[in-house]
Amino acid sequence: MRILRKPSYRMITEAETPDDAPKKALIYICGACQAENEMKPKDPIRCRECGYRIMYKKRTKRLVVFNAR
Amino acid sequence: MVEVLRDKEFLVKEYLETRGLYSHHINSFNAFIDSDLKKIIQQNHAVRSDADPNFYLHFKNVSVGHPQVDDGFNVTRNVTPQECRLRDLTYCAPIYVDIEYVKSGMKYLRKGFIIGRLPIMLRSNRCCLYQKSDAELAKMKECIYDSGGYFIVKGTEKVILMQEQPAKNKILVEKDSNGVPTVQVMSSTVDKKSKTNIIFKKNLIYVCHNALEENIPFVIFMKALGVCSDQLILQMVGTEFAIMNQMYPCFLEGSKLNIYTQKQALRFIGDRIKKMGFSSEDYDSRVITEVHDFLSTVILAHIPVTNTNYHMKAIYTSIMVRRLIFSLSNPDLFDSKDYYGNKCLDLPGSFLSLLFDDTFKRFTFELKSVADKNIPKVKATPFDIIKYIRTDTITNALVFAIQTGNWSIKRFRMERHGVTQVLTRLSYLSAIGMMTRVNSQFEKSRKVSGPRSLQPSQFGMLCPSDTPEGEACGLIKNISLLAHVTTESEDDDAVLQLALNLGVEPVGLYSVDGLHEDYMYLIIFNGNIIGSTNKCIDFVDKFRRCRRKGIFSKFISIYISERHKCIYINSGDGRLCRPYLVVEKGQPLLTNAHIDDLKRGYCTFQDFIDQSLIEFIDVDEENNCLIAYNEEKIVPDTTHMEMAPFSILGICASVIPFPHHNQSPRNTYQCAMGKQAIGTIALNYQHRIDTLQYNLWYTHIPMVHSKAVPMINYDKLPAGQNATIAVMSYSGYDIEDAIILNKASVDRGFGRGGTFRNSKCFLRHYPNQMMDSIQGPIIDNATKKPIYKHRALENDGIAAIGQPVFDKQVTINKATPKTITVEDVGGDRGFKETPLYYKGYDPSYVDKVMITSNSDCFLIKENFRQPRRPEIGDKFSSRHGQKGVVGLIVDQEDMPFNEVGICPDLIMNPHGFPSRMTVGKLIELLAGKAGVLEGKFQDGSAFGGATVTDISNELQKHNYNYLGKDVLYCGIDGRPMEAYIYSGPVFYQRLKHMVADKIHARSRGPRVLLTRQPTEGRSKDGGLRMGEMERDCLIAYGASMLIIERLMLSSDVVEMDVCKLCGLFSYSGWCHMCQKSNSVCRIKMPYACKLLFQELQAMSIVPKISLKKYCD
Amino acid sequence: MDNPIIMNKYSIERTLGNEIKPYNYDEFVKNFKINIISRSDNDLEFDLVGIDVAVANSLRRVIISEVPSMAIEKVHIYQNTSYILDEILAHRLGLIPLKADPRQFKMKEDENSEPNEHDSLVYEMKIKCTKKDLDALAHKQFISFPVYSKHIKWLPLGNQKDIFTEKDVGIISDDILIAKLRPGQEIELKMFAVKGVPKDHAKFQSVCTAWYRMMPNIKLLDEIKGNDAVLLQSCFPKGVIGLKSVKGVLIAFVEDSRKDNSSRNVFRYKQFDNKILLSKIQDHFIFTIESVGAMDPSLIFLEALNILTRKVNSASESALNQTEI
Repeated sequence: MRILRKPSYRMITEAETPDDAPKKALIYICGACQAENEMKPKDPIRCRECGYRIMYKKRTKRLVVFNAR
Repeated sequence: MVEVLRDKEFLVKEYLETRGLYSHHINSFNAFIDSDLKKIIQQNHAVRSDADPNFYLHFKNVSVGHPQVDDGFNVTRNVTPQECRLRDLTYCAPIYVDIEYVKSGMKYLRKGFIIGRLPIMLRSNRCCLYQKSDAELAKMKECIYDSGGYFIVKGTEKVILMQEQPAKNKILVEKDSNGVPTVQVMSSTVDKKSKTNIIFKKNLIYVCHNALEENIPFVIFMKALGVCSDQLILQMVGTEFAIMNQMYPCFLEGSKLNIYTQKQALRFIGDRIKKMGFSSEDYDSRVITEVHDFLSTVILAHIPVTNTNYHMKAIYTSIMVRRLIFSLSNPDLFDSKDYYGNKCLDLPGSFLSLLFDDTFKRFTFELKSVADKNIPKVKATPFDIIKYIRTDTITNALVFAIQTGNWSIKRFRMERHGVTQVLTRLSYLSAIGMMTRVNSQFEKSRKVSGPRSLQPSQFGMLCPSDTPEGEACGLIKNISLLAHVTTESEDDDAVLQLALNLGVEPVGLYSVDGLHEDYMYLIIFNGNIIGSTNKCIDFVDKFRRCRRKGIFSKFISIYISERHKCIYINSGDGRLCRPYLVVEKGQPLLTNAHIDDLKRGYCTFQDFIDQSLIEFIDVDEENNCLIAYNEEKIVPDTTHMEMAPFSILGICASVIPFPHHNQSPRNTYQCAMGKQAIGTIALNYQHRIDTLQYNLWYTHIPMVHSKAVPMINYDKLPAGQNATIAVMSYSGYDIEDAIILNKASVDRGFGRGGTFRNSKCFLRHYPNQMMDSIQGPIIDNATKKPIYKHRALENDGIAAIGQPVFDKQVTINKATPKTITVEDVGGDRGFKETPLYYKGYDPSYVDKVMITSNSDCFLIKENFRQPRRPEIGDKFSSRHGQKGVVGLIVDQEDMPFNEVGICPDLIMNPHGFPSRMTVGKLIELLAGKAGVLEGKFQDGSAFGGATVTDISNELQKHNYNYLGKDVLYCGIDGRPMEAYIYSGPVFYQRLKHMVADKIHARSRGPRVLLTRQPTEGRSKDGGLRMGEMERDCLIAYGASMLIIERLMLSSDVVEMDVCKLCGLFSYSGWCHMCQKSNSVCRIKMPYACKLLFQELQAMSIVPKISLKKYCD
Repeated sequence: MDNPIIMNKYSIERTLGNEIKPYNYDEFVKNFKINIISRSDNDLEFDLVGIDVAVANSLRRVIISEVPSMAIEKVHIYQNTSYILDEILAHRLGLIPLKADPRQFKMKEDENSEPNEHDSLVYEMKIKCTKKDLDALAHKQFISFPVYSKHIKWLPLGNQKDIFTEKDVGIISDDILIAKLRPGQEIELKMFAVKGVPKDHAKFQSVCTAWYRMMPNIKLLDEIKGNDAVLLQSCFPKGVIGLKSVKGVLIAFVEDSRKDNSSRNVFRYKQFDNKILLSKIQDHFIFTIESVGAMDPSLIFLEALNILTRKVNSASESALNQTEI
């Protein structure tokens, strides 16, 4: 089963460092001032507004299904 | 008739609010920073070098700043505790000193130099939470009900537990383990600790000490102390007949040894001091100085000696002997180690000052050796000691000690483990319960009852209920609500002066003759004799008056011991005391008017203390007091009155309603269980990222709670729900304490809770400029969707918030460079995947993802949450030590219902009551029912609270049966039940033990590499062990093939070749020993057995297997 | 009835069920009565007289566990940055009662099938709290913006908008608190309501509860007068015991034993020993149905009867089939 599925998805090859991978910068929220910061990988983690060093990932609009029970 | 004080519990509330429940930790830490730290630095302030007599380095003016964090690039910034918790930092503040030093012959002064960082206790006066309003605390993401009093070290919260210790500098007469009467003194000063014994052996009296190779006869010891005349010795000990009788053989012994002068005695002792390796020349004088040193600083070290004047020491020793001799004839005079006045509590402050003292000494020593080494070297730049001051010596030592709990103080040869513990954040109660915990140094394994049992002197100081069961029973205690632990007083000089002014005659002043007259009382201040008085009552009375006037600290205690003919004044730290209302002339000084003023906010609790309406009494002084339980019990001699009786309980026991109606061990069980009850752990629980956190969705304030519950804020952070219960038998799934739940109740949210679990990873920089990275999800080409493993990931390679994650899904798709060392810069730039997986049978939801950077790496923390609906096997408990698992969840229509249509949430079997005798639970139910009908909370305070008659009347008023028993109709057949059913609301706690965390089964699975047997434990998906006893069952049954299957075939079977000639293993059908192949047989055996044989062979032991035909 | 259930001090003496009387249809028809005592929009109290306890109980059980109703079953959360966790929010939403009449919907056959106009109702809630919202609140003491059930909007599926109005299928009450928001927080979700039976989950219950009690019967065996009479009156709910003055002496009499709720407080006082007989009439049930609001309580009862009849029919059918084999 696994062998059959193998070619169907992209494998990480050695040349593919993560930098090449298409990356959309996601939004992170400052833990102190709630400002939204766009960050790319390897950016220093620091709020542009207040310099606070804790960031939380912002919740993106994604569908999550819950059973109401 | 004494006026009854209304709402006395308001005093307790006010006291706890102003002082805080955990002030003992915080006060002691403050005292450490404000005074001990300064003293330590003052004592060790100078660094000098042997190489250069002109060189020096002085430390002056120590101060501690506010907690800061180093953000790299030498940027420091104030930090909040919550930030430290989240970023795995240490909450610590710099220690500033002014230093004066010599550089190339010049004197330099540098101010505000940082010598290290000190972990700061939360809510201490250096903490940024100190005296902050609720709004400010909320802004810092801190729970307003948090206790403080702990440290944050590398992100984990650590508590330095209070340790119970034998009191220092007290004379204790005891029998040692061999039954030899002994009088013992543990001397302790700032820099010396020693233990001196005087024993009574074979009718003679000896002085023993660790530094002595053999025991010194008492008389000789006295002579060494300069009391050469036998008559004087006798006078010092006492001239009573009993004493003279006992002393006679001792004097004989002295003369037998031909020792008459001080010098002879000193020589005698000198010969017996350990580790004396002097050359013969000059021997005599060096021995004498050594012995003088021993006498003045080692033995009975707490008694100061000036210029070899041992007079006080001689008197002290003779009093020890006197007490020993009296005890011989009167066993009542033996002291008890377990008496709580003979104990003291070591608080975090004293632990830290011990540690800091030691590390600071090492720090200065290191500087000295640096100076010694570098000064002689000739260098271009002049020697600058500043460059050699390393801040991390002190920082690391403190952080390491608090982090690991290993306290090793080389000077005192102290090596303690487990001094600190991680603050358990299982529930609010468990966290605050930890702050009042007292740990005993006593061996846990020793089977002695003395130190474990409840001592009458612990009354009101330690909680009688809150102690663990099992091996630590009675050794771990908790202090009561009102108990206060003293910190070192600053008023010692004032007390001494006052004592002299009040007519204490210093002992040295007159002849020792009158010392032991009947009317004479010795005055002992912190273990030192300061004098005597013949007006004992008068003196104590005046002294107490002065204390009430506020001339010195309120916490200094004084008490008369008639047994010892002594007046003890104590100002030391670590004594337990508690506030009492002062009663004079049969009337409490505090009146209702005062309480009303307090309620209106016209005055504070502190005012009452200042006015001495309320007084702190310690364990010793309680012996001189007559304390009334309430106004009714006041008699003319009463000196004090209890503030509120329920305050004798600790925090955990305060939660129990009507504990005075319960069998005592039930309260103890609840104290242990309350800590496991899930609820809201803190107001900031959604901001915390803990390894494991439980929470209950809909918590209730208990219908019935004690007056202490609002004081400990259990009503704001409760852990449980008011369940309507019916006490009846139902379905047979309720045996052995199991409970039945109503499915509809569960559907509607009863007992719902959840867990939060975290996982974290670091992104490191490597020496070759490479760094860990996070990669995006791999997209399936066919569906254009991420592959199963990466389904939870977003483009940044980290799981999306709110997303469910299933077993073996990646939550952080981390990748590590293939090469990381400096040597291969420019080498392979590839990455290998090192993702973080989610592991678990049930999926979780991603709650939050935090990203931060520490000085050297990025830190990513994820929090997962998992809802937990109650299911069969989950554990519930009421507040009366009545735990039980869910036996069955029954549909609502099958549940019984009463005449107004109420059906219970929970059914409990009545067999839980007779043997447990938890009458408190019965009353809780009754009171809860009345409370629900009346619409108000009911009072279930210990030694008070609502009475059953009142509750019954209230029930009747609301047309309910006065006994709390209702007519219930059976839900299944619809008929009214034959019995009336006791039903009503009871506060139920959901305990953390849940089936979802424990369920485990396996058919096939991983094996241990070494033995090839299945792994052990749920976390490793291990097998279920068929142990010895299970095996015994199979043997007894005779199921031999089953044994083979279970123990070998299903486990670690291996086929091995064995040579039947030599009995050794062969390989590939060839016996290397016999060089043959026809003798080789193939047999099945457990791999562990094969391994054992080979390991034995490696040890040159040859196990041989002899084979036989199966049929022979 | 000749065999009442007697309530003693410590136990109930019940003879009920110990004797099996042969069922007689004519007698049943003659004796059986339903008297409606009180009814309002949501509550119905009626007497069921002349029926076996098993039937009364079956009706109660069916009402509680098998009369279907509509409730929110799936919650599609697109965004939720409030302090209420997703699963708690979903659970809370599930318990919100809906006005929709379950009889107009079909049971969903396959749990995972796409919702259609016949078996599902779709609701939506999109709310974002801003500083302005918070300031606009009438009660200034609020530090958070309450989200009520009125913020839930119905999204008609297919031809539903021709059949129903928001009034028909909306939320029963406007002021059910769902969550509280701080400025900047938002909730965006869709809810899918389906028809279900309460056996599956309590949210499908169409009643708050339904129950019966047996008609109490109080007999004074002896004359009770004076202070004792007043005391006796206080032992029962208001209106059970009346007092009449006979020649200046108060004498207790049973005014309305129906109002008694079996509190049995007379047993608390010695002076009433053997003077009072408390009993229950075993074929007289005081039945109460408290509807959640989607259906009229009487309809719920009828629905329950239908379900019960269906059950009986299918039972008898299968019994007949059994005998044929």
